[in-house]
Amino acid sequence: MAATESLSGPNDLDERERAAVESLLYRLADDEFVIADRYTDWQVRAPTVESDIAIANIAQDELGHARLWYDLLEDFGHSEPDLIWERDPETFRHSTLCELPFAEGDWADAIVRSYFYDEAEHLRLEALEESSYPRIRDRVGKIVGEEGYHREHAENWLRRLVSGEEGRERVQEAVDELFPYALTLFEETEDDEAIDDLGLRTRTLSAMREEWIETVTGTLTEIGIDARAPETDEDGQVLTGELPDHVGRDGDHTDHWATHYDEITNTYRELGRDHAARLMEDPDDE
Amino acid sequence: MMIWEVFRQEGAGKYHTHCGNVHAPDREMALMFAQIQHGRRKPTHSIWVTPQQEIGEIDEGDTTFGGTTDKGYRWATQYNITAAAEEVADSESEQADAEKERGRR
Repeated sequence: MAATESLSGPNDLDERERAAVESLLYRLADDEFVIADRYTDWQVRAPTVESDIAIANIAQDELGHARLWYDLLEDFGHSEPDLIWERDPETFRHSTLCELPFAEGDWADAIVRSYFYDEAEHLRLEALEESSYPRIRDRVGKIVGEEGYHREHAENWLRRLVSGEEGRERVQEAVDELFPYALTLFEETEDDEAIDDLGLRTRTLSAMREEWIETVTGTLTEIGIDARAPETDEDGQVLTGELPDHVGRDGDHTDHWATHYDEITNTYRELGRDHAARLMEDPDDE
Repeated sequence: MMIWEVFRQEGAGKYHTHCGNVHAPDREMALMFAQIQHGRRKPTHSIWVTPQQEIGEIDEGDTTFGGTTDKGYRWATQYNITAAAEEVADSESEQADAEKERGRR
């Protein structure tokens, strides 16, 4: 991709640039926010105290990252209630991988999911390090610093889970179930051409997907789990049959999302709030 | 599942101080858990983990620490020598503190 001139601040973007920046930010923020909330389902339910604290910590990291991305959407005049608490759930753009509930006690699901997600996030962040939009570029380093632990955590667990027969079976089931959903992380929207064209990221979704598939199928095969690359058409796009019914990126979510969003916003509604309480400084002042 | 004792060091050059333990099947997982459980809220420069069963212990039921007879001659503070070198003076004040500590117990 050709090196692109740096874009300016949020107030100086033209309509196309602004639409592309917002589209990219919504996906980044929504993915992090929704998967973080899902991880908190494990609070006091993880297999040991240690694993409970570790996954809660990962959830807190992801929430912190969501905050950084939502804050950049606030640059365009959106308030926190617009972005989260009073938003139409059908406008959320996260991948459906992030919203699926965990079957009770299915720790292999949590580990496989975070393995798939964090490997993808690693590639996505790498592609943002040289983003032409300075406000995005400047925040990537902070996030990358916390992502190393997530990948280490997921892979360490994965390797240990497969060392016993029951664990191996559960990992295999989770991989079979979640692999198609993980592919939705790389699904394109109508804004992706502009995103790449403007240099908002330096690698296309297809290129990242290709590397992701190679990495995860490589690791899974190595530890004795069956995983195959999905079939693609001549343009390298994943065939529809390889994807789940709901992709998420286009606003089409599973039924679980409506329930989940309702849970997330329950307290806000019950307390009759019309604004979000602020506990922390603006990320720009940190 | 093994228990791993955790030692946290606040800054370079300081002692690693025991701060608790974690349950983990092996060293790699113990380090992974310990950094979150014991290193995420307080300033931390380094963390050690060691299997609990690898720690040797002797306590006051097993031995009499310091012996039972008066050994005042063990203490530099008992010797009245003027113009001590700086290092000796430092050591003396450390020993005076230690003596006070012992007296308190």
